[in-house]
Amino acid sequence: MSAVATRGRPGFFRQAVAIFGKDLRIEVRGRHAAGTLLPFAATLLIAFGFAFGPGREVLERTAPGLLWMAILFSAVMASRRAYQTETEDGALEGLLLAPIDKAAVFLGKAAAVTVELLALVVAVLVMVVALFDLSIGSPLPLVAAFALGVVGLAAVGSLFGVVAESARTREAVFPMLVLPLVTPVLIAGVRATDLAAAGRANEAAQWLGLLLAFDVVFLSIGVLVFGYLMED
Amino acid sequence: MLRPASHVSAPPTTAAVDLVGVTRLFGTVPAVVRADLRVERGETVVLRGPNGAGKSTLLRIAATSLSPTYGGGTVLGFDLLREREQIRARAELMTHSTRLYEDLTAAENLRLWCRLLGLGPEGIDGALDRVGMLEVSAERVRGFSQGMRQRVAIARVLLRGPDLLLLDEPYTGLDAEARHAVDDLLRRAPSEGRTVVLATHHPAPEGLEHRTLHVDGGRIVREAP
Repeated sequence: MSAVATRGRPGFFRQAVAIFGKDLRIEVRGRHAAGTLLPFAATLLIAFGFAFGPGREVLERTAPGLLWMAILFSAVMASRRAYQTETEDGALEGLLLAPIDKAAVFLGKAAAVTVELLALVVAVLVMVVALFDLSIGSPLPLVAAFALGVVGLAAVGSLFGVVAESARTREAVFPMLVLPLVTPVLIAGVRATDLAAAGRANEAAQWLGLLLAFDVVFLSIGVLVFGYLMED
Repeated sequence: MLRPASHVSAPPTTAAVDLVGVTRLFGTVPAVVRADLRVERGETVVLRGPNGAGKSTLLRIAATSLSPTYGGGTVLGFDLLREREQIRARAELMTHSTRLYEDLTAAENLRLWCRLLGLGPEGIDGALDRVGMLEVSAERVRGFSQGMRQRVAIARVLLRGPDLLLLDEPYTGLDAEARHAVDDLLRRAPSEGRTVVLATHHPAPEGLEHRTLHVDGGRIVREAP
């Protein structure tokens, strides 16, 4: 009956890649990260920079925390945005009713938010180094901290984004669900960044371990339960 | 393992839709109350009734978008509660929400579905051509009227070729050209072996052989001649 030849059902990862590609394309075209997240993060950093004054020591000490605050709130906004595109014209119901692995939707969306946030981290990091004169003693643990932290934030945001969509007060519900859960990411991210910046790579490693464990737990939970969360 | 609709034929049962004693509550408010709906394979059924009668809820239950609070049944021979994915592989729910991504072009929207469902992309141009949207296939959906969007949604249906088509007020906000595309989809359905359940306030297309059921207060109250 179909007008086209079928090639067999694509596997889980091909479906996830299709969702990832779709989300990223929409994001690039909508310029949400460049138009909203980056100015938001920049404003936050500059405002705190002025509030703390010109003392280099204070700025150096607070820079990791400010950086992660900017990333955290950007992650909340990016995750919400990822689901807004799904609800604009009922696309989320389309994904629910499509004969696809729903976990692929979760993974694809989490991957797209991760890429988006990583691009933001690069821009924000440049800003922090320039504004606060943050030195980077051990670059590798620093990169690992951001990569692992961002994956964790994207996983939680993508998991609870779909829960919040079913709530009438989704704008309020989403941060209430996500922010308490990502506290370990915030703490471990700040500590790892602080230690990596100070060149204490070995001490940073234990915090990186915590971030990795968080990622594994929430990615696994997402893959396992996302389908149930999408259902009525 | 799940496969797209055309890969695996459904179990040989007589009815395409067989809902039995279905009730759906939203909180404590009943939208559908002990409704029985039976639609034979290849048949076209039109559901009529006032707003809030329960037509959309019935369609969404048959499409597995909503679960019945009580009752159950089969769709295309598959159990409504236990074999949802098999039903989803063979049925399509079309509403006035077109489920298109506004920042993707018409062709990109269809390509996404081809990738997700394992369909070859070679039919995209043909499907868009059939609904008169080939010329604007490279344009973003954001600039489309509701009628144009609905025609792209119809092209998606044509690509999938579902065994069961559930349409919920598909004429809402459409221009003449888009209405014609919906009519064409309905008229061709019997010859393409497709079962259709349509909820609408609009008259059915001229010449379309169909059965009409009246829905009110969440119940199918009578069958019209």
